[in-house]
Amino acid sequence: MTPRSANIPVATTADENSLAVSESPGGLWSDVRRRFRRNAIALVGFYVVCFLTCVALFADFLANDKPYYLEYHGKVYFPILRSYLVGMRLANWPTELLNVNFKKLEGAKGIFPPNPYRPSNINLLEPLESPSSKHWFGTDKLGRDVASGMIHGSRISLSIGFVAVGIAVIIGVILGAIAGYFGSWVDLVISRLFEIMLSIPTFFLLITVAALLPPSIFLTMAIIGMTSWVGMARFTRNEFLRIRSLDYVTAAIALGVSDRKVMFKHILPNALAPVIVSVVLGIAGAILVESSLSFLGIGVPAELVTWGSILHEASTTTFAWWLAVFPGFAIFITVLAYYLVGEGLREVLDPRLRGLR
Amino acid sequence: MLRRSWRVGFVLLVLLGCGDKTEVKVSDAPPAANEKNPGNPVTGDWLVIHSLSDPEQLNPLTSSDATASEILAFIFQSLLTRDPRSLELKPLIAESRPVISEDKRVYTFKLRRDARFQDGKPLTGEDVLFSIKVIKCPLVNAPFLQVYFNSVIDARLVDEYTIQFTTKEPYFLNESVLGENVVLLPRHYYDPENLLKDVTVRDLTGDPAKLSEKVRKFADNFNRNYSRKPLGSGPYKFEGWETGREVDLIRDPNYWGSGKSGIDQVYVDRLLHRIINNLDAALVTLKSGGLDTMDLTPVQASRGSNSERFKREFQKFEYFAPSYSYIGWNNLSPIFRDKRVRQAMTYLTDRKQMVKTLLFGLGEVVNGPIFFFRPEYDKNLNEYAYNPDKAMSLLREAGWQDTDGDGVLDKVIEGQKTPSRFEIKIPSGSSTGKSVILVLQEELKRHGIIATVRDLDWTIFLDDVKNHKFDAVIMAWAMQASEPDEYQVWHSSQAANKGSNHISFKNSRVDKILADYRREFDEKRRVELYREFQEILNDEQPYTFLFARKSVSAVQRRFRGVQVYPAGLRPQEWWVPRDAQKYAREAALR
Amino acid sequence: MGSYLVQRFLLLIPTFIGVTLIGFLVMHLAPGDPAELRAAGGLGGAREGAISRNKQGSVDEALSQWRKQYGLDRPIPIQYAIWLSNLATLNFGESFKDNQSVWLKISERIPVTVKLNLLSLLLVYAIAIPLGIYSATHPNSLGDQVTTLIAFVLFAVPLIWAATMAIVFICGGDFLYLFPPAGLESLEYSSNWPLWRKFKDQTWHLFLPVVMLSYDGFAGLSRYMRASMLDVMGQDFVQMARAKGLAERVVVFKHVVRNSLIPQVTILASILPGLIGGSIIIETIFSIPGLGQLGYESVLARDYPTVMALFTVSALLTLLGILISDLLLAVVDPRIAFGRRQQ
Repeated sequence: MTPRSANIPVATTADENSLAVSESPGGLWSDVRRRFRRNAIALVGFYVVCFLTCVALFADFLANDKPYYLEYHGKVYFPILRSYLVGMRLANWPTELLNVNFKKLEGAKGIFPPNPYRPSNINLLEPLESPSSKHWFGTDKLGRDVASGMIHGSRISLSIGFVAVGIAVIIGVILGAIAGYFGSWVDLVISRLFEIMLSIPTFFLLITVAALLPPSIFLTMAIIGMTSWVGMARFTRNEFLRIRSLDYVTAAIALGVSDRKVMFKHILPNALAPVIVSVVLGIAGAILVESSLSFLGIGVPAELVTWGSILHEASTTTFAWWLAVFPGFAIFITVLAYYLVGEGLREVLDPRLRGLR
Repeated sequence: MLRRSWRVGFVLLVLLGCGDKTEVKVSDAPPAANEKNPGNPVTGDWLVIHSLSDPEQLNPLTSSDATASEILAFIFQSLLTRDPRSLELKPLIAESRPVISEDKRVYTFKLRRDARFQDGKPLTGEDVLFSIKVIKCPLVNAPFLQVYFNSVIDARLVDEYTIQFTTKEPYFLNESVLGENVVLLPRHYYDPENLLKDVTVRDLTGDPAKLSEKVRKFADNFNRNYSRKPLGSGPYKFEGWETGREVDLIRDPNYWGSGKSGIDQVYVDRLLHRIINNLDAALVTLKSGGLDTMDLTPVQASRGSNSERFKREFQKFEYFAPSYSYIGWNNLSPIFRDKRVRQAMTYLTDRKQMVKTLLFGLGEVVNGPIFFFRPEYDKNLNEYAYNPDKAMSLLREAGWQDTDGDGVLDKVIEGQKTPSRFEIKIPSGSSTGKSVILVLQEELKRHGIIATVRDLDWTIFLDDVKNHKFDAVIMAWAMQASEPDEYQVWHSSQAANKGSNHISFKNSRVDKILADYRREFDEKRRVELYREFQEILNDEQPYTFLFARKSVSAVQRRFRGVQVYPAGLRPQEWWVPRDAQKYAREAALR
Repeated sequence: MGSYLVQRFLLLIPTFIGVTLIGFLVMHLAPGDPAELRAAGGLGGAREGAISRNKQGSVDEALSQWRKQYGLDRPIPIQYAIWLSNLATLNFGESFKDNQSVWLKISERIPVTVKLNLLSLLLVYAIAIPLGIYSATHPNSLGDQVTTLIAFVLFAVPLIWAATMAIVFICGGDFLYLFPPAGLESLEYSSNWPLWRKFKDQTWHLFLPVVMLSYDGFAGLSRYMRASMLDVMGQDFVQMARAKGLAERVVVFKHVVRNSLIPQVTILASILPGLIGGSIIIETIFSIPGLGQLGYESVLARDYPTVMALFTVSALLTLLGILISDLLLAVVDPRIAFGRRQQ
C-alpha cells in the first residue's frame, strides 16, 4: 500500500559520532566499506545479492539442455560454449550436432549441467508435475521445468532492475542537480515536474502503457525507469541545495569555474550518498514492479518465462502449489537481500543524509 | 471448515426460503437427472446461473458480447425458431413457415394473432416492420447484424398480421435470416414517438446522408438509452440488473405461449445470473450452493470436480460449442504461399497431444470448417496426424534446406536467400492459444524453423488481422449449429476491405462452389458441393485447423429435463419437482 | 502563511494540467481503436481469440458514425480541450463500453476502494504506532531487533506472492478454506440481515484484502515512528520533563508520542495517491469491484472517458495529499513557509 519507491523513510540511527569523516571521496568510501562490514545482516544481504548475480550470469551453465562436455563418435565438443559462439555468429554447428536433442543422442557421452532443462523445453507428457527428483520444483502446464525457469528468470529480473534503475538515475540525478543548483524559476519548473510525476498514478500508467504497446523487455525497462526517477531527483536536489551554499562551492564559483564543472566535479560526488541508497532500493523496487506486471500478464513477451509469469499461472491453477511457492520465494529473497544492503548502506551513510522528504 | 460454511450457507438458504413456502427441503438422496419418468414438469424454483462478467449492455441489436446474447435469448423472440434436436426451422411468432415466391426473392410471413409482449400489448405486423427498419437503419449501431441484411431491400405490411420481405437475390439462408435474426421489438416501447413511421425499408437501404432528422433522432435515442431495460415477447421478463452482481430474469406468468401446443414451455420461476469474474471463486460458490450451474474450465472439470460430494450434488454435461480454433497462414507471404509448406506446418503440429494435455482431453481435432454434427461434414478427410518426417520431406520438396549450417532452414526466393523465420501473432488473453503456439514454436525450432511469438492487445491484434499485417495468427471462429455458409471466410472477394478472408485465400473452384451453394435450395446438392469444398481445403491447408473444444457444464442434480443438444444445453427447459425445490416461490410473481 | 497557501494552491493548476495531459496522450496515442473493439464483440471475444461469425463485417459507415458521436474524429488537442471544458461541469462523459455515465461507474466503486484503503490505513496505524513506541522505548533490545527484522521481512514480501499463496492455500482450493477467494460479501447477503451478521460477513470477506494491503506499511511506519521518537527523546524539553521528576510513562506518552505523531500525519497524505494504483493487484486477485479493477478493465477496453476520469481523480487525490502534507509541515516548521532559499 505504501508506494514502493525509494522514498520510504526508515529509521536512522542517530549516530552523531560517525560524523568524524572527511568530505573527500577517497576516505569516505573505504570508511563506508569498513563500517558496512560490521553490520552482520547487511553483509548477509550482500552475499545473497552476489549469489543471485552469479546465478543470473551463469544461468546457461546451471540450467541447460546442452551438456558442458560431449564425446560423440570419437570427437570431443563443448556444446554450451559453442552455443554462445553460434549466437555471436562466430561459429557454426557441425552438421552432426545441428538441432539435435542432446539427451537422446545415440552413442554419446556427456556431462550435463545440474539442471538439464531450458525454461523453454516443452514436454506435453509431463504437465503440472509436483516437485520430484526429476523436476526439483515441478513443472508448469506445458511441462516446462520450474527450477530452470527460475534460474533463467533471475536474469530477466536482474537485468530489468539494473537497466531501469540506471535510466532512473540518469534522469533523476541530472534533473535534481539542475534544480538544486540553479534554484529560482528553474527549480520551480522542475519541482512542478516532480509533482506531476508524483501525482500520476504510476502503476496505473505502467499498466496502461504496457498493455497498449507490444510487449518487450526493453519497453518494460524504459517505462519503469521513466516513472521511478523522482525520488532520486529530490534527494539530489536537496543535496545540491545544501551543498551549493557551502563555502568551498561559493569559492569555486567565485573563481570562475564553469557551472558544469562545479556541478559534476565538485558537488555531485558529495551528493551521491542518498542516491546510492536509492539505487539499491530502486533495484528491488524495479524487480517488484516487473514481476507485478508480468503477473498481470502484461509487458512480457509470450515465450518468456519470468518469476511473475509463473506466479500468474499459479493463480489460475490453484492446485499446483509449487508454481506459487517457489518463484514467489525467489522474488522475496531477492528483494529482501537488496533491502538489507540498502538499509545497511543507509545506516552507514547516515550523516550524509539531510531531510527525508 | 468447508463443511461448516456449507452448512451455514444451507441454513441461510432455508431461512431465506421461510415465509411463503409450505415445505423447504433440499433433497438428500441424489436424484438422477434424466431419469426415464421423473413426472410432469412443474413450475417453481430458481436457476442460479454463473456469468463470468456483466453483459456490456442489453440492447439486442447493439450489444455484441456472449453474455448479453445468452440473456437476451430468453427475453426476445423472432418469427421462426429451430427445433433444438433436428435443427429444422419451425414457426414461433409466425403462424407457419413463410410462403416463398418462385424467384426465391419474396418471403411472406403470416403472424399468429395471440402473441403479446411482456407488458401485455399485442405483437402485430407493425412491430415486425419496425424491427426490420431498426436493423436496416445504418445509424443504429449494429454493423455486424446489418451485414446479414444487406440483401434485404424491402419490407412491407400486406395487412395487420402479414408481412412481406423482398431480397436482392436468391440465397437459401434468407428464410433463416429473416425468420431468426429479426429480433422482434415492441414499437411502442422502443420508438414511443413513432419516429420511424414514415421512412421505408427502401429508404433505409439508400444513401444514409439523405435520412431525415427524425431517423437520426431515433437512432441516437435507440443507441444510447435502451441498454439496461429490454422488453420483448419471450417467456422470461427482465427484472433487474445490479452491475457487477447479478442480472435477474423472472418467468412471465402471462406469457402468451403458456400452455399452447407447439410452443416451448418454461418452468423455472427465476433465472438469476450471478456475476462472478473469478473462476476459482465461482467454483467455490458452486460447491457451497450459491450457484446451480456453471461452465467448468478444463482444469476444473478434470481436477476440481471429482469429489464424492461434488458428484452427489452435481451432474456434469459435456457438449461441443460449435466453434473451432485454427492457425491462419498468410497465403500471400513468401514462405506460406506454397501449399507444401502449409501442409508441413500441419504435420508438425501434434494436435492430438495438445487436446490431451492442454485441453485435458476436452476437445476434438478438426480438419475443416464444418461442424462435425452437420450432414455437410466430410468424414473422409486426410487427418494430417503428427508426422515430423513427412513434414521435413515436404519442406525439402518445397526447396527449404539448411545450406549454411546455422541451424535454420533457408531457401532462395526471388534471388534472395531467405531464412525460415516468421512471426505468429496471438491475442493477449487467449491462454490456450498461447500454449498451442509455444508448443509449435518449440517443435519448429527443433526442425530449423524459427517462429517468434508476438502477443498483442485484442484491438491491435484485430487491426493487424483485418489489414493482413501478419505471417501467421491463431484465432477461432464461433458459429451456429445450423446450416453453414462459408462464403464470408473463403471467397476471394472477401479478402479485400477488411473482410473475413484474412489470409487472402484464393481458389477459383472454391469461389464457384461457394457462390453456387448460396443459391442452391436442394439440401442434398448443397452437401455434395460442400464435400468438394472441404476436400480442396484439406489439400490446400490455408489454415492449420486445430480443434473444437468441449464445454463442460455442472448442473445441480435437482434439475430435470436436462439434455444435451447439438448446440448445447437449454436451461429454459429445465424444471424441479415440487418436493426438491430449493428457493421460495417467488413473491415477485404478482 | 496565507500567501503561502494561495501560492501552493495556484501551483497545483499546472501540475493538474500536466498529469491529465499525459494521461490523455497516452490513451489516445497508443495503438488500437475502441470502435473496432466494440465491433468485434468487446473483450468477451478476446477471451479465447474467437470472433463470433455472425458478428463479423466491415460496415465502416456505422463505425465512423459512432466515432463522430464520441468526437473521436476531431484532432487530439481539440478533444483534450473539449474534455477539459466538460470537466469544469463535472461531466466525465459516457463510458465507451456500456454507455453508462462515467461518473456513475466511478462513484459506485469509490466507497469500496475507500473502505478498503481506510481499513488498511487503520490497521497499519493500529499496529505500527504501538510497535514504533515499543521499539523506541526499548531500543536495541531483543524485542526491538526481532520486531525490526519481522518488519523488514514483511516489507520484502511481494504482494503478488502473498496474495497468490493465500488463494492457493487458504481460499478453498485443494487445501484449506478459511476465507473466501473473491467478492465483498456472500451471495446471500441481504440488507435485511441483522447488523452483527452483516458485519461478520463483511469482515470475513475483507480480512485478507485489507491485511494484504497493509502488511508492508507495518514496517515503514513503525520504523518511522521509532526514528522520530528517538529524535524527540533526545531533545532538551524531554530532559527537562524528566528533570522535573515526571514519571517516565507520562514523559513518553504525553510529550514524546504527541510530538512524534505530527510527522506521521504527513505520511497519511502520501497514501492518497496510491489509492487507485495500489489496489489494482488486490482488487484483481480477489475480484473486488473497486476503482483499481475498473481502471485495469477500462484500459484494456480502451474506454477513454473512464480511464481519463480515473486519472483525473487520482491526480486530484495526489495533489490534495501533497497540499495537505505541505500545509501540515508548514504548520510544524515555520521556516518552510517563509522563503525557500538561504541567500
